Amino acid sequence: MLYRLWYYVRETFTSLWRNLSLTLAAILTVAISLSLVGSSMLIREGAARATAQFQEGVEFIVFMRADATSDQDAAIRTVLDTSPAISGYGYVDKEAAYAEFQQLFSDKPELVESVTAEIMPPSYRIVPANPDAGNVAEMARQFGEQPGVKEVATATDAIRQIEDFSNRVSQALLVAAVVLVGVSALLILNTVFTAIGARRQEIEVMKLVGATNWFIRIPFMLEGTIHGLIGAALAVPALFVVDQRVLAYFQESDAVPLFRGFAVPEGFVWDTSIWLLIIGGVVGMIGSAVAVTRYMDV
Amino acid sequence: MIRLEGVSKVYKGDVVALRNATAEIQRGEFVFLVGPSGSGKSTFIRLLNREEVADEGRITVAGKDVGEMSSWKVPYLRRQIGYIFQDYKLLPKKTVFENVAFGLEVIGRPRHAVREQVPAILELVGLSRKADRLPDELSGGEQQRVSIARAFVNRPLILLADEPTGNLDPATSVGIMRLLDRINRSGTTVVMATHDRGIVDSMRRRVIELDRGVIKRDESQGVYE
Repeated sequence: MLYRLWYYVRETFTSLWRNLSLTLAAILTVAISLSLVGSSMLIREGAARATAQFQEGVEFIVFMRADATSDQDAAIRTVLDTSPAISGYGYVDKEAAYAEFQQLFSDKPELVESVTAEIMPPSYRIVPANPDAGNVAEMARQFGEQPGVKEVATATDAIRQIEDFSNRVSQALLVAAVVLVGVSALLILNTVFTAIGARRQEIEVMKLVGATNWFIRIPFMLEGTIHGLIGAALAVPALFVVDQRVLAYFQESDAVPLFRGFAVPEGFVWDTSIWLLIIGGVVGMIGSAVAVTRYMDV
Repeated sequence: MIRLEGVSKVYKGDVVALRNATAEIQRGEFVFLVGPSGSGKSTFIRLLNREEVADEGRITVAGKDVGEMSSWKVPYLRRQIGYIFQDYKLLPKKTVFENVAFGLEVIGRPRHAVREQVPAILELVGLSRKADRLPDELSGGEQQRVSIARAFVNRPLILLADEPTGNLDPATSVGIMRLLDRINRSGTTVVMATHDRGIVDSMRRRVIELDRGVIKRDESQGVYE
């Protein structure tokens, strides 16, 4: 049994070595395509987390008129306290709103000077029980019709922007990745086919002396699987680079404050890596299995 | 050991390779297949090995219906059949020893069996001292001996030979025939396709003559014509 295992390993690596240039091409293609697959997965996850973390739950903000009466204010507060559709809310009074305004526009002192706390609208920041975007929009509309309400701002616009951005990027990556994964499979198929061609004589003899089909197939299928696995292994560090450079760039970016939550935990990067290894191995195995069955008739 | 009943094989383009062939070969027989090129000798042999499948009729080898056999069983059939060729089919980058050992390794024989059986069979074919040579360092006759060693190392019940002396001079051919005769006398059934009149006439064994796919003659101690 050990002897046979040794035979498979020896044959597989001899073949990999003989075919070095094609082998490298196949491995690199797998590495690049799986890096894209992984990046796409990271961006999706980052976006999901960024939007989920956005101000502690999807939120919409009811701005009261600065001159709203206390009755009007109480009516809103009653709805917020009693409605099952509202899971929580925070009240930002004029002073707090002004402080936030000052902070937000600290680099534009003339703008800050032009307003006073008195004209700032107090607001309710609301966490709905159901954060679905359509539901939020409907609730925002209803609050907007209440007396004393100046306007309702939904966070969904911002969230949609993030989602839209990350969807576009991750989908573009995914399309490129799928194409490249296909290319990798074809390259592996070709590499294995070349390996088979180089050993036609041996295969012919093996068949004649009664080697089983699986005995003949296994080294070639191992070869393809190894292409896939090595390629995937190379994609793993690339994934960490994407996590630490690209996602981190978004997090530190001041230009787009919404992206601050754009982070994935390291555990997710490892999970993704495992998926890449599985995908790589399977693609390699399928590519080589097709080569073996199509060109070897065994 | 081998039985053909009404076997026909037609290739693409209506080339008839074998037509309604019926023959029975007993265990331990030595049979020459003779006839001009294209008469169906090679097809006869390839059908026994299931390299080809008959279109009609039934072929039984070592008690198994070859045509009905599922393809995963074919390797096990072939382990009972040694096969040698006009062009030897040795692997050029392997030594004599490795070529013979290859025949055992790829059917999963353990290493100790390889270590015992290969030197013994090289002794039998007279190549013990050339075990480490590569095929292109050997003469044609020696290469054919290596090929016979590989075919016989697993002690098959049947040895099929397709023009084994086709590339050899008469003196060398005699040596090869002595070897095949010796293998046959150890109980192995030998079926040999040949054009070599001298060999057939001197051996005086059973002769099956094919002509355009039809068995024209089947004599127990025949001559070439």
